[in-house]
Amino acid sequence: MAAAGGVRSRLHNFLEGADIGGGRRLVITGCKTSLKKLVVENAVIVFGRRGCCMCHVVNRLLLGLGVNPAVCEVDEEKEEAVLNELSIVNGGGIQFPAVFVGGKLFGGLDRVMSTHITGELVPILKEAGALWL
Amino acid sequence: MDFPSTQFVSSQTMATYEPIHQIGMWGENFKSISNPNISASVIVDVVNKLENESETTSHEMLASSSKHDQEASKPFDKIQRRLAQNREAARKSRLRKKAYVQQLENSRLKLIQLEQELERSRQQQGLYVGGGLDTGHLGISGAVNSGIAAFELGYERWMEERNKQICELRSALNAQISDIELRILVESGMSHYFELFRMKSSVAKADVFYVMSGKWKTSAERFFSWIGGFRPSELLKVLVPQIDPLTDQQILDVCNLKQSCQQAEDALSQGMEKLRETVSATLASDQMGQGIYVPQVAMAMEKLEALVRFVNQADHLRQQTLQQMSYILTTRQAARGLLALGEYIQRLQALSTLWANHPRKPA
Repeated sequence: MAAAGGVRSRLHNFLEGADIGGGRRLVITGCKTSLKKLVVENAVIVFGRRGCCMCHVVNRLLLGLGVNPAVCEVDEEKEEAVLNELSIVNGGGIQFPAVFVGGKLFGGLDRVMSTHITGELVPILKEAGALWL
Repeated sequence: MDFPSTQFVSSQTMATYEPIHQIGMWGENFKSISNPNISASVIVDVVNKLENESETTSHEMLASSSKHDQEASKPFDKIQRRLAQNREAARKSRLRKKAYVQQLENSRLKLIQLEQELERSRQQQGLYVGGGLDTGHLGISGAVNSGIAAFELGYERWMEERNKQICELRSALNAQISDIELRILVESGMSHYFELFRMKSSVAKADVFYVMSGKWKTSAERFFSWIGGFRPSELLKVLVPQIDPLTDQQILDVCNLKQSCQQAEDALSQGMEKLRETVSATLASDQMGQGIYVPQVAMAMEKLEALVRFVNQADHLRQQTLQQMSYILTTRQAARGLLALGEYIQRLQALSTLWANHPRKPA
């Protein structure tokens, strides 16, 4: 029933407390953090509201595929600022949860689900270096 | 006029003198009045006022003055009784206050609920179906009910249409019609399912719990329900044996599709579990034992809004799965698949009817 890495995520949960569904948690520390840098440095990064269940779904799915996504939980106060900055990085509108693959905006939960069903998601992840199998 | 009890008790022996004693106090207040003629009538007025204002105490004064004549004993009992009565009165007052506050909180909660329903009913305008609906007792929540009533009516029509399509598919496959004609049937069958997902999305906005409960479906269908509908991977397990023979490539594609469905379903299920934990934690946060603490309930309600997104995502998954199957399969295979799906659900419905009607052993 548990996704790949089940034991690891249980330990992760125990240590971290709040469950973000797996992945590496990143913390935005004020305006100094360059979101563009985060996006470029990580093969897969998910931006979402703190405690958002949809973000949890995205993370579980990616984790189940063997991806170790970076997860950025955004507090409510910083939400607008983060959205704005990400829109500039992307050159267009952004909604949470937002998944960036290979430095570019991939989409939200809808796109992740559809591309997963059609089988397009895994090759894209492999190309971005998020998967090696 | 508040007479401190001790002072009252102490003046029992001089009950008849009490007014004069009080007048004495008042008399001091009137010292400044230099007209001696007026002061007498004022004093009389004050006596009357005193006797009128101090309702129970003057009664008690008279009563106790007569009792005083009868029983010189038990002034202590009187004190105890008075204290006990005070305690009792205070306790009752506290209980009344508590009940009143509780009632206020409940009313406030109800008000929030009504406002929510009103907001939903505004969103529901256009979905209301007239004729045949008893609107007499609907009230404010009537708009939500009418959204549900509209859905139920629509679903009934949808079922009739689907049953008709199943018959058409059956006769078409037996009659060996051309692929082009079959394609038309397949396309209309697919869009018919997509129509259902649209209807569910609408009613989910009105009442997501209605969709989640699967109340509009038969009992056996509900047994297999997952986030308000069928589980895509289970559906594939049911359909694929019906669509034989498949090419090797098709078998591979279908296996991949089944695995992808399972992974997506797991992710959604885990998200649902997280939602339950979040709502539960929100409801239970802060002090318990304070009655219905409205802020916690309102906060939990906000979190519960995510349930609508789950229903939509689950339907989106169902739609994607059906779509992908139609790409993998040939027209004829897809037609057989749709027929198999339709008949399977009809059998589930027959099972529900049979179950409802079969005689049960007495307890």
